[in-house]
Amino acid sequence: MKGNAVAIVVVTLVVAVMIFAGVKSSRGPKVSPMIGDAQPISSTDAKGKQAPDFALQDLQGKQVKLSDFRGKAVLLNFWATFCGPCKVEMPWLVELQKQYGPQGLEIVGVALDDSGKETIAKFAKEMGVNYTILQGQDAVGDAYGAVGLPATYYIDRRGKIIDSALGLVSRSEIENNIKKSLTESKSEAETANNRGKAAS
Amino acid sequence: MKRIFVILTLIASPLFGADSPRVYVSFEGATPATITPGKPADVELHFKVKEGFHVNSNQPKSELLIPTTLKLEPPTDLATGSIIYPPGKDLSFPFDPSEKLSVYSDDFTVTAKMSAAKAAGTGNFTVHGQLRYQACSDNACFPPKSISVQFDVQVVNQPKRAHGTTPQSPHIK
Repeated sequence: MKGNAVAIVVVTLVVAVMIFAGVKSSRGPKVSPMIGDAQPISSTDAKGKQAPDFALQDLQGKQVKLSDFRGKAVLLNFWATFCGPCKVEMPWLVELQKQYGPQGLEIVGVALDDSGKETIAKFAKEMGVNYTILQGQDAVGDAYGAVGLPATYYIDRRGKIIDSALGLVSRSEIENNIKKSLTESKSEAETANNRGKAAS
Repeated sequence: MKRIFVILTLIASPLFGADSPRVYVSFEGATPATITPGKPADVELHFKVKEGFHVNSNQPKSELLIPTTLKLEPPTDLATGSIIYPPGKDLSFPFDPSEKLSVYSDDFTVTAKMSAAKAAGTGNFTVHGQLRYQACSDNACFPPKSISVQFDVQVVNQPKRAHGTTPQSPHIK
């Protein structure tokens, strides 16, 4: 009898803590930017997983979905205006977008920043950004396990993550991953094409 | 009974793990402070930055950088005056050796001027507050965070002057 009473108290306490934890972790606006049922990933084991889809506004207020870029290789880069290492790699991303854009690369920068749209836009302009910038929400960063910035995910044309990096890495490492994503995506597309031709 | 507890612990533990905060600055305590009503006193609050990380000082070199700030919520009988932050160290980091940032690393101390109302009772008063900071390592930055601060201040009576007695001249023997 006494044991049951203790069990009820313990269960009540645990349930209360679970409710509190749920409330605490539900940050951000009520409407989730996440689309579909892709499982959250962590930056360390993202490789090979489907990139969680989301919808965010760009700096012109237009809603952009990650899946809008399906068919292109996407470099998804989480950054912020307060992040020094992010500032270092931005000019590289500008050059890489110019260089590999014609081959099907789309760089998408998600600003995880509380400083507001105007500040983000001003910063992006000063950095000469020529790629898509979206106003981020915590839920998107959480879904990708982007615990630090910059956090970069290389996504192939079919929406699969082929590699990721947390923190600043060298320009050559970024470029190698871009080449890899473009080549792998291309060869996968060619294989699929060939299979289609063989079947017909 | 033991089995129920083990199962519940297993259910609950991932919740804590999933939302466990990454802490880059810890509050190491305050220098014991005694305040006499009507006479402000300095309270020193000591913080430690995790090894391998730095936070912006209170006066970072760019408006885009998030300064370290302390906010105190003293009980009714106490008041907080100015908060004095230490100057930052001008350091450059591997991600951009050409730029020097004003940062705190290792240990730093923030001084808060506190006073007690003349009508304040004597005894220990607990002061709560929050330190907001934004941390970076050598190759990554992390979203701004706040840590709680809590310390005690002792309010004592002003020593009363003895009335009706004339101070004695040192020359009178």
